[in-house]
Amino acid sequence: MAGAGKEVCIQEEDFSIEAEVNAMRAASKRIGGIVTFLGCARDFSEGRDVFSINFEQYAGMAEAAMTTLRDEALKHFDIIDVRIIHRVTTVHAGDQIVLIVVGAEHRKPAFEACEWLIDTLKQRVPIWKKEVTPEGDSWVTQHP
Amino acid sequence: MSVKVLFFGHLADKVGLKECSVLVDKSMSLGDLVSAVSCDEYKPFALAVNQQQVTDMNMKIRAGDEVALMPPYSGG
Repeated sequence: MAGAGKEVCIQEEDFSIEAEVNAMRAASKRIGGIVTFLGCARDFSEGRDVFSINFEQYAGMAEAAMTTLRDEALKHFDIIDVRIIHRVTTVHAGDQIVLIVVGAEHRKPAFEACEWLIDTLKQRVPIWKKEVTPEGDSWVTQHP
Repeated sequence: MSVKVLFFGHLADKVGLKECSVLVDKSMSLGDLVSAVSCDEYKPFALAVNQQQVTDMNMKIRAGDEVALMPPYSGG
């Protein structure tokens, strides 16, 4: 497991939600609510079985884009802390892919910021996924 | 002088390369470079120069630049 302690991280290794939440709780006693989003690998997509998913990133630019997202979220929402982890490796059904943790004094801005972060991450962070299926490999187009 | 060109996602499969080096002259624009690597037909894709996204296809390319061709993202 890795990721705990860094606010934004792209890594091959798996991560621990509990470790990330605990790290955030330890960093600020002003936080009254923590919202998490966990993205996982599915075994079925676009009408096909999926054996595995391979991720690719534009190293450097991807982490910089995630850092910018974090900064924007902290500026525009009434929240206290944000942690974002995205794995770039080969994952299988059920594996963890992306984690967003948002801490705030109150729950509403934490929910709003978390939704904005995952929606915007999909639009702005140069990461691509290729699904391995019985019919062959195929690059994934944007999911809503 | 040359620039490094990176291809991501399905573009790398189409071109058959993840990266290449392209000789450029002082008058070459970003649009010219895209044509030089035969990628016009694979649009839509975004472009980055030295890890900064760029939309101006008339931007001049300089020796040593790193240009990335990036199809729509699909992370998350």
